[in-house]
Amino acid sequence: MKKKAVSAVLILAMTVSMMAGTAVFAEEEDHVIRVGAICAMTGGSAVYGEGAQNAIDMAVEEINASDSEYKIEIVNGGKVVDDAKDAKQAVNAYNSLEAEEPEAVVGSFFSAVTLPMAELAAEDNMLLLATGATNSKVTEIGPTIFRNCFIDPFQGKMAAQFANEQGYKTAAIIYAKDDDYSNGLKDAFIESAEALGIEVAYVGECTTTDTDFTAQATQSVGSGADFVFYPCFLDTVPLLVQQVRDAGFEGAIMGGDGWDGADTTGLEDYFVNCYFTNHYSSEDTAPAVQEFVSKYTEKYGDESLNACAALYYDAMYMLVEAAKNGGGSDTESLVKGMTEMKFSGVAGDIYLDEKGDAIKPVVVNTYEDGKIKWLKTIAPEE
Amino acid sequence: MPKKIKTNYLINFIGLLVLFAVLYLLFENGVFGARTNYFKGIATTACYTIIVVASLNLLVGIMGEFSLGHAGFMSVGAYASAVLTNAVADKGIPDFPLFLLAIVAGGIAAAITGVLVGIPTLKLRGDYLAIVTVAFAEIIRVAFTNFEITGGGRTMSGITKLSDFYWVFWVMVVCVTIMYMFIRSRFGRTVKAIREDYIAAAASGVNVTFYKVMTFTISAFFAGIGGAIYAHYMTAMIPTSFNFMYSAEFLTEVIIGGTGSLTGSIIGAAFLSALPEAMRAFARYRMLGYSIVLVLVMIFKPGGIFGTWEFSLSRVLGKLRGKNRKEAA
Amino acid sequence: MAECLCAGGGRKFVSIFVQSLINGLNQGAIYALIALGYTMVYSILRMINFAHGDFIMVGAYTMFYTAPLMVSYGMPPWLAVFAAILACTVVGVLVERIAYKPVRNSGSMSALITALAMSLFLENLAMVLFGGNPKTVVKIFDLPMIEILGAKIQLKYLLTLGIGLVIMIVLTVFVRVTKLGKAMRAVPQDREAATIVGINVDRIITVTFAIGSALAAVAAMMYCSTYPRCTTDMGSMMGIKAFIAAVLGGIGIIPGAMLGGIIVGLIEILVKVYIAPGWYEAITYGILIVVLLIKPSGILGKNVGEKV
Repeated sequence: MKKKAVSAVLILAMTVSMMAGTAVFAEEEDHVIRVGAICAMTGGSAVYGEGAQNAIDMAVEEINASDSEYKIEIVNGGKVVDDAKDAKQAVNAYNSLEAEEPEAVVGSFFSAVTLPMAELAAEDNMLLLATGATNSKVTEIGPTIFRNCFIDPFQGKMAAQFANEQGYKTAAIIYAKDDDYSNGLKDAFIESAEALGIEVAYVGECTTTDTDFTAQATQSVGSGADFVFYPCFLDTVPLLVQQVRDAGFEGAIMGGDGWDGADTTGLEDYFVNCYFTNHYSSEDTAPAVQEFVSKYTEKYGDESLNACAALYYDAMYMLVEAAKNGGGSDTESLVKGMTEMKFSGVAGDIYLDEKGDAIKPVVVNTYEDGKIKWLKTIAPEE
Repeated sequence: MPKKIKTNYLINFIGLLVLFAVLYLLFENGVFGARTNYFKGIATTACYTIIVVASLNLLVGIMGEFSLGHAGFMSVGAYASAVLTNAVADKGIPDFPLFLLAIVAGGIAAAITGVLVGIPTLKLRGDYLAIVTVAFAEIIRVAFTNFEITGGGRTMSGITKLSDFYWVFWVMVVCVTIMYMFIRSRFGRTVKAIREDYIAAAASGVNVTFYKVMTFTISAFFAGIGGAIYAHYMTAMIPTSFNFMYSAEFLTEVIIGGTGSLTGSIIGAAFLSALPEAMRAFARYRMLGYSIVLVLVMIFKPGGIFGTWEFSLSRVLGKLRGKNRKEAA
Repeated sequence: MAECLCAGGGRKFVSIFVQSLINGLNQGAIYALIALGYTMVYSILRMINFAHGDFIMVGAYTMFYTAPLMVSYGMPPWLAVFAAILACTVVGVLVERIAYKPVRNSGSMSALITALAMSLFLENLAMVLFGGNPKTVVKIFDLPMIEILGAKIQLKYLLTLGIGLVIMIVLTVFVRVTKLGKAMRAVPQDREAATIVGINVDRIITVTFAIGSALAAVAAMMYCSTYPRCTTDMGSMMGIKAFIAAVLGGIGIIPGAMLGGIIVGLIEILVKVYIAPGWYEAITYGILIVVLLIKPSGILGKNVGEKV
């Protein structure tokens, strides 16, 4: 009984101190943001995890070496926690991070694993900065959920606009039926394309694990399309481009930011007249981008340099910015600072809207001799 | 004799109560500090994995056939229950009845699928049956990818979070107890007879097909319950999660634990669902370590950790008492 | 493009059909090459070697690293297949010796799980060794494209089909005629009797694995010539489908693997073109189920009654 009373008193004391917390903590402000990071480090999507880890290491090193008011500490000993692109493991990964008492969590890259995490984060009032989860539902889960990538509909719309500007009249779509990202971009593309008067002559389904696209390629050519939209991830892009070209397609092939990092070795000719929308272009002359690209390539090579790396890199700087805006490195200040934040980084000038979604310009890249080449930047519409 | 069985059940039940109380106290008093939710999450995962693995063990251990498509049945339960709870979300049903409703619905939906899959396929045996179960699980996965109500290939999100660990624990206990009683029942013994020699069993008047389909259905039912818990724990899911590898994981857990031993299933499921977490410190080498552990267990304990041995608290107590008596003497 | 449209629906229909047929045959031939490996091992050991798909991954990565070397020494890149055969055989035999042999006598279930675990092990080992980034393999065959009935046909597709058929015939003859082949057939029928007549069972099994793994290397080469990309999980993706193909044709039967592979390849492509691309996997598996229900041992399989 006595123990119970003691513990009750202790709990009461703790609650009171928590209530008074903001003030107390603000005084004890350590100016270090404790961040937990999650990405797929093992399994078929580990290339994103590699990029994320490198980018985070690089960003944290830079921030902590600079005279920034706020420093970053990555919990879990600086290591990105693995979700293996599996929802079960993602939940455990989130919980294991939560145990380290971070002030913000960054990740993850796929909607399917981020959605259950976002649910937990909303419950805990934890700031979750999703990097690649493009499903529009992610940020609807709670006020502490943000993202720095595009939402699905945006890139699809931009691709349709681009096709229209370039004068393509008939489009074929090949998309992965079993993936959020692919579905989202496809829907938006069809909607915008039809509104702009582009005929969608063929919609072909595949899966994220397919390697054979010859059937869809033959169909696309047969449909008379002059524009193929393929909103999928980098691992299958070289295969698709090759097979569509081999089927005799000469028009444009376009994709979204999932294309960034796709290997074009040996396929330089195939990638002529291919385009993809992205957050940044490695060709961009903006100093932030140049520095990021050259430094990253120098340190880790360009194998894992993709959109994912850029988004995790930016996420670190966004947190520092949020701390400055919110006036503290605790979660509450970070959320306050991040809400409707304006930020300028590698992945463009970002404005986080009231839902927590990133509004930012989109870059259209093309290929020249197998190298990514900047084509144009389209500013977001207000 | 029946009285002894009753006492056995009672003793084991008390043992469970103690276990539950220990877990409850550990979690509620924050012994693990900030890690409480982490361990609770792992425990919840272990609980629904135990249900699915034990259900698979009904096929492997009791019927002597194996299914490599149990994730398919699990996904039927998961999606059916999620669709149901979404449909009645604004009816104001309190959480606990809603949770029970969800798991029962998930179980029934999976059981119906089990009947549909079982009737045509159970005349096949061995590897061929395993392949057909893989085929069915893949068909189910593709179907969920294409149905609009299950997200149409997208993540189905916003499922109410109902799977509280304490509830899931007791659901697990009830499910495993029912399965245990099933194995020990006349019905279960008949199925075992079919396993040993189905021609002899058929010759002595046992309707082999009926018993096989029933076992298959019961197994699917519990897998569906596991799926329903999964759905309401994860709150978001995508059909690609229920792939061949997930089915293979369940079968691995059955074999590692020991075919025919529910104790083995429980330990196997709990051990292997926690193993990837225990390996987190190895970072990139995590899944490599996981697979090495699997190979080593198979090499050194090919019959699984427990074989067909069942744990019984009353027996342990009996032994202890025996020992004490000896010491006293 | 416009000409195409004007030329009328009929010609277009024919060209799409012919094109799909060729694509299907090509994909089928690749499945068949992989399925041959499954069948070889299954016919001797009655064991589903789930790691076989990962031997293909090993072969593909070997090709990725050695093919450019061949090119730099002025040799044709396909010569790298010999390096791949070596690598696959070594891995195959090691896996058999280290992991499969200890569990050989403890039931088919343990063997199956060991195979699954080995598959997981090889994939994760590759992840650690080669990284997660998908690798693009250099062009292995530089063959032209020919046009028949408006369909563009890659000659390398025909090559895949040809290699598949040749291997099938050679294997069939080998198993039927040679002493080693006969010993291989004797082992699954009665292991003890085989030992009594002087067959070294362990050696036969090792040889079988060596042959199966070498086949995986050839399959890897043909896979890479069509889909020039290797990822660490490529094996499990292709493997399960190729295994389905082997079962469809009648597992354990060499021509059955070939037939099953081609059927699965054709079904997949034709379903994608003419029926419902989103359902192609379901339809393939559906056909497998129907075939097994009608003929439980596969298309070319012999129904063996059970002794009472």
